[in-house]
Amino acid sequence: MLAPRLIALAVTLGVCAASTAQTAVPSGRLLASNCFQCHGTNGQGPGFEKLSDKSSREIFKELREMKADDDDDLMAHHARGYTTAQLRALSRYLARQR
Amino acid sequence: MQRRHLLLAAGATLALPTVRSLAAPPKGHVIIVGGGMAGSTLAKFLRLWDAGIDVTLIDRNPQYVSNIMSSLVLTGQRNLAQLTFGYERLRSRGATVLTDDVAAVDPVTARVTLASGAVLQGDRVVLAPGIAFEPPPGRYDDQRMPHAWQAGDQTALLAQQLAAMPAGGTVALTIPPTPYRCPPGPYERACLLADWLRLNKPGSKLLVLDANPDFVTEKDNFSSAFFGLYADIVEYRTNVVIESVDADSMTLFTDSGPVQADVINLIPRHRAGRIVTDTGLATANGGRFAPVDVLSYASTAAPLVHLIGDASATTQPKAGHIANQEAKVCADALVRLFNGQAPDPMPVTNSACFSTITMSQASWLTAVYQYDAATRAMAAVPDASGASRGWSAGLFRDMDTWFGSLMADSFG
Repeated sequence: MLAPRLIALAVTLGVCAASTAQTAVPSGRLLASNCFQCHGTNGQGPGFEKLSDKSSREIFKELREMKADDDDDLMAHHARGYTTAQLRALSRYLARQR
Repeated sequence: MQRRHLLLAAGATLALPTVRSLAAPPKGHVIIVGGGMAGSTLAKFLRLWDAGIDVTLIDRNPQYVSNIMSSLVLTGQRNLAQLTFGYERLRSRGATVLTDDVAAVDPVTARVTLASGAVLQGDRVVLAPGIAFEPPPGRYDDQRMPHAWQAGDQTALLAQQLAAMPAGGTVALTIPPTPYRCPPGPYERACLLADWLRLNKPGSKLLVLDANPDFVTEKDNFSSAFFGLYADIVEYRTNVVIESVDADSMTLFTDSGPVQADVINLIPRHRAGRIVTDTGLATANGGRFAPVDVLSYASTAAPLVHLIGDASATTQPKAGHIANQEAKVCADALVRLFNGQAPDPMPVTNSACFSTITMSQASWLTAVYQYDAATRAMAAVPDASGASRGWSAGLFRDMDTWFGSLMADSFG
């Protein structure tokens, strides 16, 4: 009989379950998810340039330059859609996804 | 399926709890109706971002066939197998995926009744059924006048009809009134077909009958293509009202006279998928689509029901890329909800897509939307909206990269 053992297990695990109830939402994650469609989930590819290998500083610097330049490419348009604070937040999140 | 979510099933006796249900009670159960771009992305990111949330996804088809890139099936450059995506990865992430039809959704109790008789209880129900068509008046037959706007059999049918048409024939393509799925889609299909006709069916004409007063989007590129590149093939008419149709004589009766063609790609006016209208939530756009709070995609009428993708009425385009991002905003809001937090007050969404201007060259179109608290809507950032100046073979290759990445993010 399996069921009684499962119930016993559940009683033991009850405390653990309660302590893992809350999941923190990482800062910048929802913003960074805008990048996943073209750079892969969590920036890890497949797709265009892999972002998860880069440092937060590198990603942010590139995006800020794109935002400032008057270029006509697709990524320049994207970069102009976010505030500097948003670019910083999403860069930090992506750099943690190695 | 986690059996505790199953209230009643034909022939089912008392449900047995599973190991997981005893070990750690789930924070919540989300039932997703529809496994397209929006529904699959939602299921994936709910499981990825909080494995404590139980997810059940229901679709009537065991696999999804992508609408994106499906016009390339008409020209023989892709096949449907290459556009077909399964739910294996979602299952391995712990989502329950059921192949069934949804008979009813109770928007007050978040209870979903399946065609098979099972009744599921959710904490939230997310409707992502995509679009349905409003058949035009008259003797309409979608086998004679395929829409090919929900990829699959319809796409194969239109491809066959085009291939069987003699050279020097006439093809008609109708563009429905806005809002419709994939704003650049009909124009890119017209461009692609014009290039294909020139090569394969010399002397043929393509009549583009647009219900709208002008190009709905990407006017510079599409008008250059229609009036320049394809001036000898494409005839573009605007403000066309299709009053009725006759499939037997292959005739469209428009407000400016009858139009006959050898092949008719009739894309009818859209509305949200049936379950949305059945549930009484389609109250926007003249009763066609469902209004939502874009902070969480909760229905403005039924707080336990959310709507994402083409079925919802928002200021954003109905398109696969934006459906994917709407799903992530919804996933984030549900994760926060089940962890006792309010939705992100400043969500951002984006859209990027590529349009085939020829059989080997493409253009791009993009937009970013920031939440506007004053209007409680997503507002396009002016500097971030735009299209490529012209088209190229390099962008055609980028289109392949984009498609592969987008589908991996949605189904992988």
